[in-house]
Amino acid sequence: MNFANLHLLLNHFPIIGTLVGLGLFLISLVGKNEDLRRASLIIFAAMALLAIPTFFSGPGAEGAIKKLPGVSEALIERHHGAAMLALLFMEITGALSLVGLWKSQGTSRPAGWNWSLSAVLLFSIVTVGLMARVGTTGGDIRHPEIGTGHEEVIEGSTVSKLVRRFEPSPGKFAELMTATKWWWAFMMDLHFVGLALLIGTVGILDLRMLGFAKQIPIGPLHRLVPWAMAGFGINLVTGVLAFTGMGDYYTYDWAFWLKMLAILLLGLNVAAFYLTGAFESVEGLGPGDDAPPLAKFIAASSLVLWFMVITLGRYIQSFSDTISVHK
Amino acid sequence: MALPLFLQTIEETGFSTWLRESESPFAFYFILLFHTVGLALLVGANTVVDLRLLGVARGIPLAPLKRLFGIMWIGFGMNTVTGVLLVIAYPTKSLTNIDFYIKLTIIGFAVWVMQRLKSQVFEDSSLSEEAMTARGLALAKWSLFLWFGAITAGRLMAYTYKYLIFP
Repeated sequence: MNFANLHLLLNHFPIIGTLVGLGLFLISLVGKNEDLRRASLIIFAAMALLAIPTFFSGPGAEGAIKKLPGVSEALIERHHGAAMLALLFMEITGALSLVGLWKSQGTSRPAGWNWSLSAVLLFSIVTVGLMARVGTTGGDIRHPEIGTGHEEVIEGSTVSKLVRRFEPSPGKFAELMTATKWWWAFMMDLHFVGLALLIGTVGILDLRMLGFAKQIPIGPLHRLVPWAMAGFGINLVTGVLAFTGMGDYYTYDWAFWLKMLAILLLGLNVAAFYLTGAFESVEGLGPGDDAPPLAKFIAASSLVLWFMVITLGRYIQSFSDTISVHK
Repeated sequence: MALPLFLQTIEETGFSTWLRESESPFAFYFILLFHTVGLALLVGANTVVDLRLLGVARGIPLAPLKRLFGIMWIGFGMNTVTGVLLVIAYPTKSLTNIDFYIKLTIIGFAVWVMQRLKSQVFEDSSLSEEAMTARGLALAKWSLFLWFGAITAGRLMAYTYKYLIFP
């Protein structure tokens, strides 16, 4: 398994998964099926999460093939720029989907249409379009049978010419991120603020489920989750920006990839919490109540995984240059 | 200005050198990791109390949040110990950097506010939630502001130092 394998494996999720999510979302609108709608929002959120390691595996895939004959640097750059734009819209779609899911949970509020669902509809359609563009421009790199057959960049249609104007130049973006150490310091500063917010809120909820400070009822504690997501969002943005600034540094680092794996496992953990009924089993628990074993297991694994994320994040610097494959 | 020689003395000790130069995963980065964990515990727990006092998640009863101060003190303890070790590893880098002293000052104030929060808001169990909130509102805002400052000052240390080791 090398980076090219990884990239080609993962890219199916944000491209096809998002399309499937959109299809189900539209069907749920027509059929007024709230369960299906919720499922499609979950798919959007999951694809947004998977889009991140997909994007991160790009530079490694580039490293694997750029020295091969017939591979055009310009086509790679175009694909990279398209991916950056698509990632932006993908993450916004994922964030809006989480808002939509948050609003639809709980029995007190009737789950009608709201602004977040309109926004999801709009952004998911744009995302699917941009993802199609990422897929095509990616294919052009190594599949001359589908492309223009030329090595230089030619935009076929008016739409693609228009989209091209919004796609950032990866090289220039990287320079911007690393232009001054103060910008880097600012991004890292926000990364730590995000982690304090995230671990504080999620950590307290997890600890309560494990039996600490039982006087606190769990349902109200759960209202802190949007703040945890805000913290995660800050770290996602600062993390992606850091990666775009120093792609090769993170790519060839074992600690970085293990950190990404831990985050994906946390995504599974979150899904398990809500989809297995664990959340329902703890939502109504009051002072003194004990959480059931499944909820405790999910809480414990959450704490362990977040500890791993912090650990691996700190060790990125120590593990730089530990992956030496086709450089 | 000549740098005080004790910085070099510390740096040249076996322990300091080991922390700095060892390839072992239990050296510098291990200490740094627990410094980050301590930060997450201390600032994280304090943030939950602060947010609640500012009106977030009003369903959470205030009084039981007193338990969170225990977590804050564990985090503070971790960071004091790891902090001392970090200074031992890089005495010149930290002690000649004014940012370090700014950080310690801000932390001093933040911990003072933390103690005031505990004593003013949580110590008297007869207080109503309205009274608790009234007493804690300003302190909560200062707490968030000061911890943000402490994190920033700490992070900037990696970018503002003048000497990595004794010249």
